[in-house]
Amino acid sequence: MITWYLVYRIIVDDIIFYPPIYQFLIIPGLIAALLVALFIIWFERKAAAFVQMRYGPREIAPRIGGAIQLVADLTRYALQEIIIPETVDVLPYILSPIIMIILALLPLEAVPLTSIRTYFPIPPDYSLLIAVALSTLSPLFVVLMSWASNNKFAVVGGIRESFIITAYELIAVLGFLSAAAMTQSFNIVNIVNIQMSGKWLGLLNPIALLAVFIAVLMSTSGFPFEIPDSESELVAGPYTEYTGLLYGLNMGGGYIKRWVFSILIALVFLGGWAPYKPVPGIITGYFIPSLIVSIKALIVMAIMSFLRSVYGRYRVDQALGIAWEILIPLTLAAFGLGLAEAYFGII
Amino acid sequence: MESSTSGSVVPHLPGMEVSELSKNTYEVYIGPAHPGSGHMRIIVEVDGDIMVRVDPDIGFVHRTMEKLAEGRDWIKNIPLFERMAILDACNITLPYVEAVEKLLGTEPPERARYLRTLLCEINRIASHLYGMGIFGVFLGHSTLYMWAFGDREVFIDLAEQMSGARLTHSYPVFGGVRRDIPDDFPEGARKATRYMRNRLNEYAKIFLNNPNIRSRLENVGVMSKNLATELGIVGPNLRASGVRYDVRLNEPYEAYGELEFEIPVFEEGDSLARAWARVEEIRQSLNIIDKVVDWLEKHPRENFMHEKFWKTAPKLYKDVYTGQIDYAGKYRVKLMPLFASLKVPPGKAFARVEAGRGEMVYYVESDGKDVPYRVRVVSPSFRNVIAFKYLMPGHRLMDLPAIYGSFDYFPPEWDR
Amino acid sequence: MVGEVKKLISIQDLLKNVLKDNVISIEQNKGYLDVLVPTEKLVESAKKLKDSGFDHVKSVTAIDYIAKKQFKITYHISSYLNEELSKYIIGLSTIINRDNPHLPSLSRIWVSAEFQEREVYEFFGITFDDHPDLRLLLLTPVIAALKPLRKDYVVKEESDDIEVDYVAYNTNKWW
Repeated sequence: MITWYLVYRIIVDDIIFYPPIYQFLIIPGLIAALLVALFIIWFERKAAAFVQMRYGPREIAPRIGGAIQLVADLTRYALQEIIIPETVDVLPYILSPIIMIILALLPLEAVPLTSIRTYFPIPPDYSLLIAVALSTLSPLFVVLMSWASNNKFAVVGGIRESFIITAYELIAVLGFLSAAAMTQSFNIVNIVNIQMSGKWLGLLNPIALLAVFIAVLMSTSGFPFEIPDSESELVAGPYTEYTGLLYGLNMGGGYIKRWVFSILIALVFLGGWAPYKPVPGIITGYFIPSLIVSIKALIVMAIMSFLRSVYGRYRVDQALGIAWEILIPLTLAAFGLGLAEAYFGII
Repeated sequence: MESSTSGSVVPHLPGMEVSELSKNTYEVYIGPAHPGSGHMRIIVEVDGDIMVRVDPDIGFVHRTMEKLAEGRDWIKNIPLFERMAILDACNITLPYVEAVEKLLGTEPPERARYLRTLLCEINRIASHLYGMGIFGVFLGHSTLYMWAFGDREVFIDLAEQMSGARLTHSYPVFGGVRRDIPDDFPEGARKATRYMRNRLNEYAKIFLNNPNIRSRLENVGVMSKNLATELGIVGPNLRASGVRYDVRLNEPYEAYGELEFEIPVFEEGDSLARAWARVEEIRQSLNIIDKVVDWLEKHPRENFMHEKFWKTAPKLYKDVYTGQIDYAGKYRVKLMPLFASLKVPPGKAFARVEAGRGEMVYYVESDGKDVPYRVRVVSPSFRNVIAFKYLMPGHRLMDLPAIYGSFDYFPPEWDR
Repeated sequence: MVGEVKKLISIQDLLKNVLKDNVISIEQNKGYLDVLVPTEKLVESAKKLKDSGFDHVKSVTAIDYIAKKQFKITYHISSYLNEELSKYIIGLSTIINRDNPHLPSLSRIWVSAEFQEREVYEFFGITFDDHPDLRLLLLTPVIAALKPLRKDYVVKEESDDIEVDYVAYNTNKWW
């Protein structure tokens, strides 16, 4: 009995709930991201269908409102033939979607999801800085992807993507770091602990939240900034030459990026696991706080998805104009506001 | 591909067009398989993000209708020409019918003229809604697409009640129309117009006044009055540029001379004005439908077919047409027998009407046989397509859908 | 009705005044007024008509009179900006020989004729001299070489036998 118990403890403590694995693979990593994508894509379709006075997904499992539509879609992507055109640069063509997904998930390794010391994936002192820095890596592989595709639509899409990267990155970084200015800390645990009193940073500094929200929309090509893969003139932008599973990875990549950013937003601006105080123990100290953060992030994501049914897409120069002329001054103002609030001790 | 990179001689296949690209430009082929529209291709040369040369390459759904028409009976050409734009079927075939009527010297009875007007306006609304829906897709606005296509269903249903067919009605025939409206039609039509008027306000809210969409459309693809005239643009696109020209107004046909309606004219000439012109035209069409329905209700049911054709029909046909027998599943009622052996006196006729997308023009020449000698069709989209060549250069690549969609192109129509 | 006739007479007078001795004949057809001019005076007449307010081309029609060995080209023109003229449609016609058919292009005068002249070019094999961009528009080169809208081109019925159709398909293949 004892041995079985030990094996069970090892599996649970050292494998499943070993923080780097848990956060990368389970919550909020791969499995949660998959479930979230499942829900969000369903929600996006259903919400759009509700606005547009139609049913939305219904054929697969009509009793639960077509909720597992994505499973069918993923099965199709997984079973489809992967056609690799002759003209592509094969190695980067195949590798870049995979690397993109992995890098997109990487920021999750840097953020703590609880205040219990045992369950930190890495020492959390500079976790905000590291997470934001890691989040800037994956878009580069979209550019690489488009270059490797050797397709005109892909190249134009890749160029647009690189324009967008330069536009949103500064906003996202500055927006997140204004939280650091407010709390004088890069430690996400500290940032969340400060918000425990109900003073969420998103409420104290809504400008920063708004700027980050728009930057995330830009980075994940959500409406109204669905510019790199604007289908009406560029087919699928950087992903034009992809088929089957690789295309599925690309499509999922956008959602995973959005998910990771939503987690960051939930932690930094929306109080993290705020109303709940983690107490030692795997379930109460790790599972529940991570679940709370995930649910908050899910709400952020749902709001982003809903914008699809309201907006069209901006032109690329307009999006860049919004970013450089409106949002960057706005973010700087948010940074200043954060500093001022910190100075006057509001926080 | 090999040869172009190595700089050797390009193999010249028959029909291959080789054109030299200027330095630092990039040629993008948009189409012919396209997620937003049908079968069209636009060859765009971009310098950076700016389009420098735009070459509309059309003809992917060409069906040689002019040649086919020369081998068919006069009446059989009506269903043929309908295939140009099935969603605008009545407007598309009406000038052909009018031209042949001019050659035959038959005037349709008054009720038939009103019935034609009614279906024309229903078609116009359906066509505008279709165009707006596609426009929404082009700008990534799926909600407008779904709304417009959903609301189009209302008017397709009306057309079905009138003619028995959702899309290819073949409703106007020489000397009249195919059948009269059912008794409960006016009520349904009024309900539909009431509904649509409310919906138009909502369209304005979600699409035309949406800041995102406005910034995409305002001052994009500006076509001045002179340029529009020079290029011979037609339809709402012309009126959005400030030219007050509408066939319904300048040369009233059918019942338009007796009806009061306004022609919305906009001065801006940009893509937004073109979108607004469609919305305002829908509003006017709704008014016309109301008026025509009132007229039809007030006046007794009289003949809807010219006596010359009507008298050749057997009694059974007449009874069915006038609604005295419930014919469903019992009898097959065809068109008047005279149509099958119709010979049109020699002559040349030209007719124009204002179809949904603009002025539709037919030239019909007969040499007295049972088939036309020559039918020349010029559809509105074909006259609009030239605008892409002259309007798009200088805009950004992302403006292409904004301009293209605003013209309410329809490839099967311009290809014929 | 009387007024209309009067107006028609006046528009005929207007045309005669504008075109002077260029006109061979003016014929009142159903729905339009056919003005026949000699080919060499086509450009000049077009310029004069444009100056007098006919600002766009509605249709460029070629008709193959195979019995007379002639093509008749008609430019149906009208006006947008002049409300009085917009009620009328003028067919500016010219007759050319069926062998080696060519005539001066009017695209430089009316830009709206550009695509329609391209269409006539590919369907009839009629060359428009001085056209800015005379290329095929709708057809593939093999089909265009057959000049499908000429009367001596007979449309073959599609066969029930798929093999025959496939042969035809292969012979028409140009890519």
